[in-house]
Amino acid sequence: MYIFKNALRCISRAKGRNILLGIIALIVAISCCVGLSIRQAAESTRKETAESLTVTATISFDRQAKMEQLDAGRGQDRGEGFNGGFDKEQFKGVMGESSSLTIEEYKTYALAQSVQEFYYTLSASLNGSENLLPVSNSTSSNVTDTEDAESDESVSEFSDFGGFSGGMPDMGGGMNRLFGAQSDFSVVGYSSDSSMVDFTSGVATIEEGVMFDEGTEELNCVISKELATYNDITVGDVITFTNPNSEDEIYELTVVGIYSNSEANSSSFSMMGSTSSDPANAVYMSAAALSKITELSEEAAVIQTDDRTGMEFSSAVTSTVNATYVLGDVDAYYAFEEEVRELGLSEDYTVSSTDLNQYESSLLPLETLSTMAGWFLLVVLLIGAVVLVVLNIFNIRERKYEIGVLTAMGMKKFKVALQFLTEIFVITIVAVIIGAVVGGVVSVPVSNALLQNQIEAQSNQSNRLEESFGRPQMGGMNKPEGMEAPDNMPAGDFGGGFKGGFNQIFGEEGFATEYVTEINSAMNITVVFQLLGIAVLLTLIAGAASMLFIMSYDPLKILANRD
Amino acid sequence: MSILELKNICFSYDEKPVLQDVSYSFEQGRMYCITGKSGAGKTTLLSVLSGLAAPTSGKILYEGEDIEKLDKYKFRSKYIGVIFQSFNLITKFTSLENVVLSMDIAGVKGVNKKEKALELLESVGLDDDEANRRVLLLSGGQQQRVAIARALSYDPQIILADEPTGNLDEETQDEIMAIFRELTLQGKCVILVSHSPKVASMCDECYDLKRIVPQKRSARLTQKPQPKVQPKAQPAQTPPKKSYPDYPQGESTIF
Repeated sequence: MYIFKNALRCISRAKGRNILLGIIALIVAISCCVGLSIRQAAESTRKETAESLTVTATISFDRQAKMEQLDAGRGQDRGEGFNGGFDKEQFKGVMGESSSLTIEEYKTYALAQSVQEFYYTLSASLNGSENLLPVSNSTSSNVTDTEDAESDESVSEFSDFGGFSGGMPDMGGGMNRLFGAQSDFSVVGYSSDSSMVDFTSGVATIEEGVMFDEGTEELNCVISKELATYNDITVGDVITFTNPNSEDEIYELTVVGIYSNSEANSSSFSMMGSTSSDPANAVYMSAAALSKITELSEEAAVIQTDDRTGMEFSSAVTSTVNATYVLGDVDAYYAFEEEVRELGLSEDYTVSSTDLNQYESSLLPLETLSTMAGWFLLVVLLIGAVVLVVLNIFNIRERKYEIGVLTAMGMKKFKVALQFLTEIFVITIVAVIIGAVVGGVVSVPVSNALLQNQIEAQSNQSNRLEESFGRPQMGGMNKPEGMEAPDNMPAGDFGGGFKGGFNQIFGEEGFATEYVTEINSAMNITVVFQLLGIAVLLTLIAGAASMLFIMSYDPLKILANRD
Repeated sequence: MSILELKNICFSYDEKPVLQDVSYSFEQGRMYCITGKSGAGKTTLLSVLSGLAAPTSGKILYEGEDIEKLDKYKFRSKYIGVIFQSFNLITKFTSLENVVLSMDIAGVKGVNKKEKALELLESVGLDDDEANRRVLLLSGGQQQRVAIARALSYDPQIILADEPTGNLDEETQDEIMAIFRELTLQGKCVILVSHSPKVASMCDECYDLKRIVPQKRSARLTQKPQPKVQPKAQPAQTPPKKSYPDYPQGESTIF
């Protein structure tokens, strides 16, 4: 106890020196506090975001990998006089065989333990009839389009592939859209209510009537308000669809509800050129009912042979499956990835999650900042430790005589060392407390300012990517404002909607990344404990140095050599 | 029974013999004066007696026990009170704090340390104001009093003092000597190092330490210096009274 009292007394009797020591410790403490806060903020933001995130995953055919595989194969064949370009036949074969999984396959993978919910949508293209015309903003008549469909086959063949068609001609052969791809309506069948994302998220709402029953096989559908108005359809009316490939095939659907979509006017859809792509022409029904239609169509199908490629195609209405697995969290996603492989998913398919990619990208600047903060912390700690050790050694040497007196009086060396340790510890703790308060105040604005710089750096990087590619990345058509003029960001407005365009280069679906632009509270009890830990660590390092000195002192010599 | 006994103590510093086969016995209730010329090894003898220096050979027995086997720190802090010639006080502390600190180190319990310290300081002639003044601001004489008070604070059995009255005026010298005498009456052993014949005359026994003169031809140190022990102080053994230069003295300043 007297050691502690003595230590405090010594601190108060040498204010100047101890204030100096305290200032250095304070600088170290504030720097550490900011560094730790950034790391903590990154950690908690990651955790919070991950908790609030419902990860959905999709399984898709890895075109890119397959193409690379083919390319590699081609390289080997080069000796046989192959003159560049893809082996189209082979390519189409591959694509045709395995590009999409069947509903049954998707269902198998849904058995994976990590899957919380599984749903899928079926999409098919159907044409209207005389009493059902698609909403269109083009001047040409849709009826004419429909009539011309078959003769325009070779042209329309690729249209559905949109931006993807550029460098890869003739790949549509294996896809299911050969016949009259330019249809009037896109009919979407939902496997369950939860799969109707637009409705569950509130983007779309039923205005009249009701939603069709979940999983029903009855041919009920809901249509958009625009379509209803355009064709003067009311709830309870029966509308007639035809097979785009065979006008004789007629399907009658009962309209049970009319919905309105608040995001219907997306220009990106109408740019695709097809009326079926217009959300107003989307007809929603149960997946079970849609599969019934495709089954019926299958039965009535006519097989045709394509003259050019020699491949056989059916006139049946086919549907594409889009399956979504709802997974609990990020961990579940990785578990799911492994589980589906165990369940037999071929390497040609990739499991991907837009949510997860978006989540990872949104955290990118913060994570980078966190890593930098980690290094900064290390440097500060190293320098801090060295400075404190040196100062402490000076301190000890300066007080050598005092040590000699104390030991001559019979105070054990380790007690003397303990007193010196207590002194430095008290100074460090006071510095840490002040440092934590100051750090707590400055760390949020400092972290946010640094984060902002990081985001700008990241955005510049993606801008450069765009420049390198000479065009916006896929999906980049909705170019966010922030991307066009990052310099226009108001200074200090950290909360601004700085939506970056860090899109995936080869992503099937581009998306605009919304970076985590702000952290709210950086300090918490963990940071305080970490700071205390650092204080103890630094004290011990500095204390160990002084301990060595004190232990090596001989009181007799010190007193005899007194100046 | 002697409380402190030197048995054939030899001490060499850098292979230069300083103490040669010193044997002596100190008893409780008596006051001793160690005299000797400069360089005779008085300071060294005190260092050895206080446990700050270990003899090259020989034994020091405290109550019959070899102090090498004792905890030296405990020995210094509890059993022996040392008044250094250069005081060796913590100068940034007050007189009171210095005295209390020595009690803390000795582990004194059950008394009001502050009160006892104030009493002791008063008994050596320091008032409350001086007691609460930092040592650095005190005069040499006042510092010496603090050093004496400090040595007495934990009630040691042996008091070891190097020129304890060197910086004090006659009147205070007498007071201090009276305190030492009082201590002997309490059964304590007081060992003083002094050049002062007056001090020597007030002691029960004097021990004159002779300087070891190295042999000219031979390094053999067969000639044992015979310490002279007088039953009573004999001023003739010490140099005639002379004026002492102010502290610090020419010798080592440990004590």
